[in-house]
Amino acid sequence: MRELNIENLARVEGHGGITVTLDGKKVKNVTLDIHEGPRLIEQLVKGMTPADDVNVVPRICAICTLSHRFAAIRGLEKALGIKAPEKAAWTRELMMLGENVESNSLHTMLLALPDFLGYPSAVAMLNDHADDVKRALRLKKFGNHVMTVTSGRIVHGENPVVGGFGKYPSKKALEEIKLKSHELVPDAVRVVEIFASLEYPAYAEAETLFMSVNAPRKQYGYYGDTILISNGKEASAEDYKKLTNERVVSHSFAKRSLYQEKTFTVGANARLINMGKRLDGQAADLFKEHYSDKWLKNPLYNNLAQAIEMLWSLEHMPEIADKVASMDDPGIEQPTRMNGSGTGAVEAPRGVLYHHYEIKDGLVDVADIITPTAQNLDDIEKHMKLTAERMLAEGKKDEEVRLGLEMVARAYDPCISCATHLVTLKRV
Amino acid sequence: MHKLRDAPGDAEARLRAELEDIACKGEVYVLGLGNTDRADDGAGVLVAQALKKPFPGFSFSEHDGVEGTALDISEKRVEATVFFVDAANLRAPPGAIKVVRAEDVNEKEITTHRVAVALMASLLENSGKKVAVICIQPGRIEFQGAVTAEVKASIGTVTKALAALMSAKD
Repeated sequence: MRELNIENLARVEGHGGITVTLDGKKVKNVTLDIHEGPRLIEQLVKGMTPADDVNVVPRICAICTLSHRFAAIRGLEKALGIKAPEKAAWTRELMMLGENVESNSLHTMLLALPDFLGYPSAVAMLNDHADDVKRALRLKKFGNHVMTVTSGRIVHGENPVVGGFGKYPSKKALEEIKLKSHELVPDAVRVVEIFASLEYPAYAEAETLFMSVNAPRKQYGYYGDTILISNGKEASAEDYKKLTNERVVSHSFAKRSLYQEKTFTVGANARLINMGKRLDGQAADLFKEHYSDKWLKNPLYNNLAQAIEMLWSLEHMPEIADKVASMDDPGIEQPTRMNGSGTGAVEAPRGVLYHHYEIKDGLVDVADIITPTAQNLDDIEKHMKLTAERMLAEGKKDEEVRLGLEMVARAYDPCISCATHLVTLKRV
Repeated sequence: MHKLRDAPGDAEARLRAELEDIACKGEVYVLGLGNTDRADDGAGVLVAQALKKPFPGFSFSEHDGVEGTALDISEKRVEATVFFVDAANLRAPPGAIKVVRAEDVNEKEITTHRVAVALMASLLENSGKKVAVICIQPGRIEFQGAVTAEVKASIGTVTKALAALMSAKD
């Protein structure tokens, strides 16, 4: 018996590793081990006011900070019987587009791409591909800018609140977003072209299920009240527990999820598989051109999905910026009840994020947060096991297998800090 | 052998001489890194914030988006030197200061949370800019902890040395 280890998985957020246990040439087990400590956020917010809660929960992650804030706001507004003003709804859409561009540009071009081009990192890529590295940084900078304009700060902005916004973006700032997003479309198209031109090794291929929100108005988007499953079913976000069935495993501080005893994928590929026909603009054309059945089996296509989705986010910004600019600033809506429960489902860049709240006498009584990475972990392990088996059967060297496994794990764009929330670790 | 303690101003003068040795004739930029929620880890941000008022447009911190700032500076067609300031484990007493030249920056990896200093440094050097990282040894990095006295003193030393250099280039 021997082990093939990747002690620290690089180019992902947080601390994790991969262990492959081999019995002779047979792969006995593959685990994605999460070393990041438990965060205890759900217990921390118990007894807090909803206003305090939305300032604490985004601290789970500095990259999906607005997704966490938005999911919390959606769950809390449902629980408190609040209908946010229309201008708040559009401004929230805009901030999610910004976060999507910021996160997807960084992940595709600087974290995932070096593997495909044979570089150890984006630093090493710089000498030969400086223009593309700069392109990624330009896109990331703009995503950060949209997040700052809408939320008030580059990270952990506090403008989006339960019931609306503390302050809305100025017309001048919205006009700048409109112009700049249009100007950056060619950069995003280039990113799609790069990822469409890559060869995606087939070692990880296997059937799986895909879950995403069902965005409102039959459009593509990053929030929804129901969840689409690629088997044709649709479920209320309030039934998130039946969709995720969280459980604890001994080798990880992160919880795991299964749907009807099966692993499933959340993320950009799930969104495009379930809602890709709703895309418009160049993103729709490029999706039609590059989509194939392989997306349904090979998690590496999540990189291409993220690139197409980033283009859609940019193309969509001018329309949303115009809508926000055309409306007067409304006040903040107040709760209509002090007891209730609600679940907010949003699409963080790496997949569906649930925030469920039960409010008692105006204070948080129960908080339950289920992150996309926690939902993806079983699926990652399934695809990594197949990769290890198939690569070893082909006589690939350990170093090649290590890279193959890292590429699969990285393709999911895992956020390990997000995934390690309130876990009771049982050792038997 | 007995070692004499520095007289007031010695550390700052030494650091300024070291920075002058690195800097080119052109503009001097400061990019402060770190997390001010974690006590001494925020040293770089505190230096950048202190320099922001006297040198607007030349001092930036995490709160301004350092990757975007580095990209902007790299695209300027001027001679420039960029000093990153960050808390780093130098395995030295709290408050120790070390200037690391760009070629010696070992950090290679990028996380989803931030682009590596090494990538930003390489990007800047590729565009002809001079780059160095001023590292300050933290003593305490607990969440919401207070900045230690030693690091507070070093923040002052680094701020003064950089201010003197930036004023001279002004």
